[in-house]
Amino acid sequence: MIEIKSLASGSSGNCYWISDGNTALLLEAGIKFKEIQKGLNFRVSQIAGCLISHSHADHSKAARELVKAGIDIYTSQGTAEILKLQDHRINIIKSKKQFNIGTWKVMPFDTIHDDPEPLGFLLISGEEKILYACDTCYLRYRFVGLTHILVECNYSKEILFQNRENGSLSLERKKRTIRNHFSLEDVKEFLKANDLGKVREIHLLHLSDSNSDAGIFKREIQSLTGKEIYVAKK
Amino acid sequence: MSEKVVAFKENIVEVVGKQIDLLQKKDELTLPPNYSPKNALMSAWLILQETVDRNRSPVLLSCTKTSIVNSLLDMVIQGLNPAKKQCYFIAYGKRLTCMRSYFGSMAIVKNLVGAKDVYGEILYEGDDFSYEIKNGNKIILRHVQKFKDIDSERIAGAYCTIVFEDGKESTEVMSIQQIKKAWKKSNMDPGKEGSVHKEFAEEMCRRTVINRACKRFINSSSDSAMLVGAVNRADEIAAEAEVDEEVKEKANKEVIDIKPGKEESKEKDKPKEKDTPKKKPPTLQKTKEQIAREKRETERRGMFEGQAVFKERKLTNRRPDF
Repeated sequence: MIEIKSLASGSSGNCYWISDGNTALLLEAGIKFKEIQKGLNFRVSQIAGCLISHSHADHSKAARELVKAGIDIYTSQGTAEILKLQDHRINIIKSKKQFNIGTWKVMPFDTIHDDPEPLGFLLISGEEKILYACDTCYLRYRFVGLTHILVECNYSKEILFQNRENGSLSLERKKRTIRNHFSLEDVKEFLKANDLGKVREIHLLHLSDSNSDAGIFKREIQSLTGKEIYVAKK
Repeated sequence: MSEKVVAFKENIVEVVGKQIDLLQKKDELTLPPNYSPKNALMSAWLILQETVDRNRSPVLLSCTKTSIVNSLLDMVIQGLNPAKKQCYFIAYGKRLTCMRSYFGSMAIVKNLVGAKDVYGEILYEGDDFSYEIKNGNKIILRHVQKFKDIDSERIAGAYCTIVFEDGKESTEVMSIQQIKKAWKKSNMDPGKEGSVHKEFAEEMCRRTVINRACKRFINSSSDSAMLVGAVNRADEIAAEAEVDEEVKEKANKEVIDIKPGKEESKEKDKPKEKDTPKKKPPTLQKTKEQIAREKRETERRGMFEGQAVFKERKLTNRRPDF
């Protein structure tokens, strides 16, 4: 039985907790350590490890404090270098080189974002297969037999273009968004390209503050897939 | 080309020509004195007949009429001529876009914004180069290059100077690190062996620094809202289209999956969980040596940074153990 809990999602911070009943993991550490403690009812020590996708603060803010608290961090060389993380708790991982944490098998894969070595994660425990991909323009990869999908759904092109036209979005911001984040339209294409037969839950993460609409996103993905859709709380 | 395309041509060239006339009458559009929109449109038409999209089908058939008209309009408003390599046409899906080359940026600065000359130079390691900054403007004091230092493997940076009629200058200087950072935004994979950026490093550096200098200058000093609008719109469309294209080309292609470990297949149908500890890759499994080293390190840290460790322990002890 997989449990997924979103402690925070969006550009002000990302942190998700997943557990297969045996091993609990954190995906990202993009909020203050205190908030992580609160979110986990002060049971931080029960976390077996924290996977960090890339170096931006909304994904890595609490990395140092987690290390101090004795939590193993798993991240890429590029990310560790930018965050200046050096400790025996830092485990350097690489795209397409799988590894284990407790009862989880993890396969990192490269994503498309303006950072040296951003990663997404495919996680397996028993029969459960979870995809985690956040902060990526699109995904190069397809996956087989997923049961849970946690994927960024940052903006809709329609809303983005509207905001650009009414002047509330600058050209630079727009360029950055379309180059680095997953749009509703491209998420749909991604879902269409994958076999969703075993999928039970889809979690939409990292919705933009101004270029998204949780209601529309949920409805559209639901009508496309017929699955249970959750929009991660901000 | 079929009759259909010929009729299409007359229609499109006519539409663009009319729009341009209208804009000129309303005084909203100023074109360079030596620029003939008709000639540029004719050149563009010849080039478009030969231009194909990704699937090798002619863009005049595959792209929407609106996008063809708009790209031609953008070309004329910027005063560009594709025959002089100042711009080129690329189809992103069904959308035709007019992309400005750096020759195009230089032409705008010279013809529409009134600069006398624009030049870009490469800096090599070993060059004697100095500049001063006056009122936020960089002024090159000296650049002496030795012929033997010319080496595309040892580029230190590049600069672009725009010279005005009254003798004033405006210079943009970029280090090779800044240039490479700008390249990272390109989807042409500049880091790859044999990429244009590696094969023609000087040319690409020159292009980057000239583009940056010209764009900044056009945006800050042109009083023609229409020109600035066209310049920026062309950039915006290009950026959007580039991403769209990359997504179409690369997204959702390769299948990736977790491999069952070797042990698993050997030991027949044992439940996966039991195999897990064995399959830890060596990098993540702590060997005895590593554990001993970590212990030593912790002890050493304890000696030098007693307080920090003490704090850490306190924190650890305070943690309720569930």
